[in-house]
Amino acid sequence: MLRNISWRYFDFWLLGAVVLATAFGTTMIRSAIAGNEELLPLINRQIYFALAGLVLIFVVAAIDYRFWMAIYRPIFIVMSLLLFFLFLSAQAVFGAARWFQVGVLFVQPTEFAKIAAILLLARYFEKTQHQPRDLRWIAGAFLWVMGLAIWILLQPNLSNVVVLMVILASLLWFNGMEIKHIILLGGIGILLVAAVVLLSVAGVDIPFLQDYQQQRIVNFVIPDPNATFGETYNIDQAKIAIGSGGLFGKGYGHGTQTQLRFLKVRHTDFIFSAIAEEFGLVGALLVILVIVLIIWRCLRAAQKARDVAGMTIAYGVATLIFFQGMVNVGVNLNIVPVSGLPLPFISYGGSGLTSLMLGIGLVESVAMRYKELDF
Amino acid sequence: MRQQYAIRSLVVMAGLMFVGVAIIVQILRIQNSEQAKIFLANGDIYAGEFRTFYPERGEIYDRNGHLLAGNRTVYEVGVSLTEMKDVDAMAYVLSVYLNMTQEEIKEKLLNAPETWTYIVVKDYVDAGAVSALQQVLKQLDEAGDNRLNGLGFKPHFTRSYPEKNLASNVLGFVTRDGRGYFGVEEKYNDLLAGNPVQMWVPRDPNKALDIPKVPNGTTLVLTLHRDLQAKVEGILDEALVEYGAKNGAIIVMDPKSGEILAMASTPRMDLNNYTDYFQIFDNGSAYNRSIGMAYEAGSVVKILTMAAALDAGVVTPETTYIDTGSITVGGITIQNWNRQPWGQRNMTECLQHSLNVCLAWVATQMGSPTFYSYMDRFGLGHRTGVDLADEAMGRLKVPGDSDWYPVDLGTNAFGQGVTVTPLQMMMAATAIANDGQMVTPHVLYAMIRDGHQYNVPSQYAGSPIKPETARTLNEMLAVSLQNESASALLPGYRVAGKTGTAQIPTPQGYDPNHTNVSFVGWGPVDDPQFMIYVWLQEPTTSIWSSETAAPVFSRVAEQTVIALNIPPDLVRLQYGSR
Repeated sequence: MLRNISWRYFDFWLLGAVVLATAFGTTMIRSAIAGNEELLPLINRQIYFALAGLVLIFVVAAIDYRFWMAIYRPIFIVMSLLLFFLFLSAQAVFGAARWFQVGVLFVQPTEFAKIAAILLLARYFEKTQHQPRDLRWIAGAFLWVMGLAIWILLQPNLSNVVVLMVILASLLWFNGMEIKHIILLGGIGILLVAAVVLLSVAGVDIPFLQDYQQQRIVNFVIPDPNATFGETYNIDQAKIAIGSGGLFGKGYGHGTQTQLRFLKVRHTDFIFSAIAEEFGLVGALLVILVIVLIIWRCLRAAQKARDVAGMTIAYGVATLIFFQGMVNVGVNLNIVPVSGLPLPFISYGGSGLTSLMLGIGLVESVAMRYKELDF
Repeated sequence: MRQQYAIRSLVVMAGLMFVGVAIIVQILRIQNSEQAKIFLANGDIYAGEFRTFYPERGEIYDRNGHLLAGNRTVYEVGVSLTEMKDVDAMAYVLSVYLNMTQEEIKEKLLNAPETWTYIVVKDYVDAGAVSALQQVLKQLDEAGDNRLNGLGFKPHFTRSYPEKNLASNVLGFVTRDGRGYFGVEEKYNDLLAGNPVQMWVPRDPNKALDIPKVPNGTTLVLTLHRDLQAKVEGILDEALVEYGAKNGAIIVMDPKSGEILAMASTPRMDLNNYTDYFQIFDNGSAYNRSIGMAYEAGSVVKILTMAAALDAGVVTPETTYIDTGSITVGGITIQNWNRQPWGQRNMTECLQHSLNVCLAWVATQMGSPTFYSYMDRFGLGHRTGVDLADEAMGRLKVPGDSDWYPVDLGTNAFGQGVTVTPLQMMMAATAIANDGQMVTPHVLYAMIRDGHQYNVPSQYAGSPIKPETARTLNEMLAVSLQNESASALLPGYRVAGKTGTAQIPTPQGYDPNHTNVSFVGWGPVDDPQFMIYVWLQEPTTSIWSSETAAPVFSRVAEQTVIALNIPPDLVRLQYGSR
């Protein structure tokens, strides 16, 4: 498995972009939580996670990704159990827990579930690559993902279920889902979303959606002009932050919205606003550019992958990064309703960062094995 | 890789680019929208605020550096409503330490306006209660209990008077809004308060170092002698009990410099609880009787009449007058205090026996223009200019005033029909004790600001009489006191002085049973170093000054020579002759 490793095709562009994004993220987190003593240890923690993540990239890259295909059953069982126990403990503490405490570390299994789902789908599509693309084929993929997503849905943590569904949809697409099925399922999806929005606006309770989530949707669709604090506060502060950043920003550590904590959760969900305030339009675009570079290198690895599993893994990771990044930036820019997805590689969050690094390691593993034979 | 689906990644690429473009467009839209300027302005507004920095109020010391008024740290106890977890626990704990009921606290916490995120539960909380609360917080914190989350303390200064009611009538007090009322605190409010600095303060904690150190208010050193003040206040309080008097005032002053060494007045209040003021005083002029209340002082004014007559050359100490027991001035008959004729008396004896008829005659000999011109130069009817707030002016009617009658010349000569404050009378007397030179009384010895001390020089308030006149009268008053008012004397020291017993004017005329007794005296006669004024209001054991105010003078003089370390005359003159 580890024999004859060739680093010739190791994608250093991808690694470089990831290192750049992570380093910038850590720096930005430092600025975002400046002056808050309680949050101060987060900087070092994020640095440790980043360093551990880099090591992880090399380790995972060294392992042939087909190894994971072979152990898909244990992956599924362990992941399901973790999510199940998380669901149980979440019930016990009234929905607040989304992580396990392991020593001083808080581990969020949900983050790793996304990578696990990608691996499971990769194996599924590899195995079924010669089958017809009928509804049964789609249902099979859906069931694998739902096996994990059900516990996340029950937590309830809707935004991460949405992430998993988007990954599923994306990978179905890349693996040749037929257009008629896309229209059919897409139509159902749109109807479902429309129903949720309409029911939320009408004030009807929807299962699996918390009141606050419905409220966020309502606030997004119909902003309340009389809203003061709370409901639209975060978004307003983010807008002020972005709006006052200008072309080049106020300078690192000089963003008033950020430094004075008008901007809430500025080291995670709203870190993009903090960046836009302190580094301006140019800074924000550079950050997006780096993330786009990462996504592009993942897509490139997918296209060159030697088999369906490799392709699926690389596309899956690309989708994961793309979707989380898009939603996060979209929330900051008020294009998407508020949801707590991190900005990949930039936002604070050890499990999120580690799982993304894990994903990058898998992509590198795919990239390193472009050719079956390398003389 | 199945090439048949390669086109699909191109579709995805296109979607990706669309999202990227959408993001850029949205950023540009936000930055260039109508609201962009507002956002930018909001960014600036939120960046900081104008804040006023109040300096620490200047301290007040006595002449020997004993603290009379300082500042102590108290706390504003508040709750951050956004962080508050448990209203009941908060209300319970605060009620234990803040002397409030739980209902009161809950009412405050729960009924705050919606936009408020912080509410003050109680201000001016002592450090003791706060440290106890902090202890509780710490214990809960260690136990991982967050029920008191949101509780906070903001320290600030408040005025503190370590000597409580000592010299309260001189010092005045400071209310919570930082303004001084009465006495030194009001008179020197601007100096003590210092200059508040208003400036733009960034909220950014990294820039907080830009905040300037606001210089403290000016520290004042008073001429008061704390220990003597305490003794004098004690003597006054005892005298009120002993003689059954209603109220009183005693002033001790250096007649050469005008420095007030002690100024006692009743009632007094603990300045730390300034709200007691309204229970203790019914009007502001009673706050410090020494300067705030003008009254008919009676015979002590005779020293001024005699000074004027001697200075004008109308009489000499040897001039004699045959006292028939009455004199008619302006058609009204004036009698002596005992309504008896005293026969042929020289001027010293007239003062010694305090003969109203004799002094009225002296005034008529001078005539109104001369008499009133002298009284005016002695400062009657004018404020002394002492550096204390709320000084009363007194009233000297002069010819030409609608309520002046010719008889007033006769009665004014012995201190009836004219009102003075104790300090006014005392200032006039400094001319006699101080070789004709009158000094302005003052309580400020020095100001200290930015480490520099500025000593306040004495101010001379003119010379109403010639030095020879002053020396002559000084001797006459020493002799007359020696012969008449033994109770005022102080063994070992030669003192000069004059009693005064004045009937109190009422709407129905003078009340014969109630008097104001006064005494003004100074010593040692050859080189006066202290001057003492005593005023007791309506003594009941005796209506006569010689039996009430005079012994009080003696007691105060005794404490004064001890406090100021003035040697007995014999010792002092021996040293002087060497």
